[in-house]
Amino acid sequence: MTPHLLYIDPGSGSYLIQVIIAGALGIAFFFKNIGRLFKNAWWYVKSFFTGSQKNNS
Amino acid sequence: MPQQIIQPIASSFRDPSGFVFEKDGTLYRQVNDIFKQDFDHFISSGCYDHFVEKQWLIPHEEITHNLTGRAGWYKTLKPQRVPFITYPYEWCFDMLKDAALLTLELAREGTRFGVILKDATPFNVQWSQGKPVFIDTLSFEKYHATKPWIAYRQFCESFLSPLLLMHYSHQPLQSLLVSYAEGIPLSVTKSLLPWRSKFSFYTYLHIHMHERLASKSRSKERYPENSPLSGRQGFSEKKLHRLLDSLQSLVHSLEFKGSSTAWDQYYDEANQRKDYLLQKRKIMIEWLSELPETVTAIDLGANEGTFSFLLSARNMATIATDSDHSSINKLYRKIKQEKEKNILPLLMDLANPTPAIGLNNDERNSFIERTNCDLGLALALVHHLAIGKNIPLEKIAGFFEKLANHFIIEFIPKQDEKVQLMLSQKKDIYSDYTNDNFEVAFQKYFLIKKKQVIGNSGRTLYLMRKYA
Repeated sequence: MTPHLLYIDPGSGSYLIQVIIAGALGIAFFFKNIGRLFKNAWWYVKSFFTGSQKNNS
Repeated sequence: MPQQIIQPIASSFRDPSGFVFEKDGTLYRQVNDIFKQDFDHFISSGCYDHFVEKQWLIPHEEITHNLTGRAGWYKTLKPQRVPFITYPYEWCFDMLKDAALLTLELAREGTRFGVILKDATPFNVQWSQGKPVFIDTLSFEKYHATKPWIAYRQFCESFLSPLLLMHYSHQPLQSLLVSYAEGIPLSVTKSLLPWRSKFSFYTYLHIHMHERLASKSRSKERYPENSPLSGRQGFSEKKLHRLLDSLQSLVHSLEFKGSSTAWDQYYDEANQRKDYLLQKRKIMIEWLSELPETVTAIDLGANEGTFSFLLSARNMATIATDSDHSSINKLYRKIKQEKEKNILPLLMDLANPTPAIGLNNDERNSFIERTNCDLGLALALVHHLAIGKNIPLEKIAGFFEKLANHFIIEFIPKQDEKVQLMLSQKKDIYSDYTNDNFEVAFQKYFLIKKKQVIGNSGRTLYLMRKYA
């Protein structure tokens, strides 16, 4: 173990790490939204041809 | 002669914002001057009222004077007292999960009031009226949206790690928390989790990636607080919410699927001897009516709490202990479902009850130090300790004496089929295990007030009172 590690409070909250993890979550959220967008678009195309109604209940 | 300065209780020393102390048998919390702004904001923003209304936080009264005589005083609070202090290593999986969800809820909801939770330790959660409640009023400080969640790592180590380990291993691992009271280090959790846990996106992020980044980036944590490289500028409320939501979603998805234990079918099997259970119940009800002063009770070896409910129905605050995780988890679920308020289920190996741990070995008290009930129940338990664990009857009596003033104890003789079943697996070295020796051993500590054989079962119930 390098000496400086002994002076880092393990409870200090992993600041930089949170920025990276929150970034990863943001990317995941972005792709999730895109996926949802495609899903919705597909549903509208499908309903246009089949004439079915979205169930909002 | 100078006024005697009151000292904080042994577990209250980590946070300079204030401390808890006891005076004339009443518990108080001092808020220090250093925390004035944060505390005032917590109250004036309406966050405190909101949390208390939701029953997420213990309510308090404000006392206007300095009771400790210490410098740096700002306010004194008199919090509502929790009936019995418990620790995370005594909780079943579902209790730890609910405590984790409460902690996340407090962190997320607080931001609506410009407040953030600065501590995410399970020791700040206790149980009151069948529900988890947060007890540390000084854990809430002003929220700055550019700063990440200071308690993130603590949450991952002290809640997420044990929950994930139990979820994936299907084993009750509460005892790990005795050794790692401040949370299981991420490196330990990572090495113990199965490889397939990496396929869970949130587990990968909060444990595997978190640990890998932590071990790589420690040197970067040395940057000054305001340096862009410290990471303290790159955060926002939206990011915090995403982080908390992902943790909440992960915790919600975790379940304990432990394999069935010998105790799972205990009452199904016992129900086949309905007459025996009815007789036992009848005697108990009669004896309980003769103990009207009883307010607190402990049911040792409670299994799924059939008799704990009998005590609770008489308005007794009942601690129900068992060493079988599956039984205690089922009991907790039943308590939640039936909105039962008087029963506190606890995981406890009576042959090795919770030790005192922490600084000076008095930061977290032992089970015996915390337990002083009016009534104890030990039904169909003594043979498990005496024959199952080789504990002499006198030692069992000496242990019970420390827990309650009255006891209702069931003695099961050696001829009983259940004892014979135990003895079929081991050599019978228990010549001392007799009804007479049981009475002699217990009379060293207790006065036998009543004694009655249960129907034609051959089993005997005793009502005892501790010598004054």
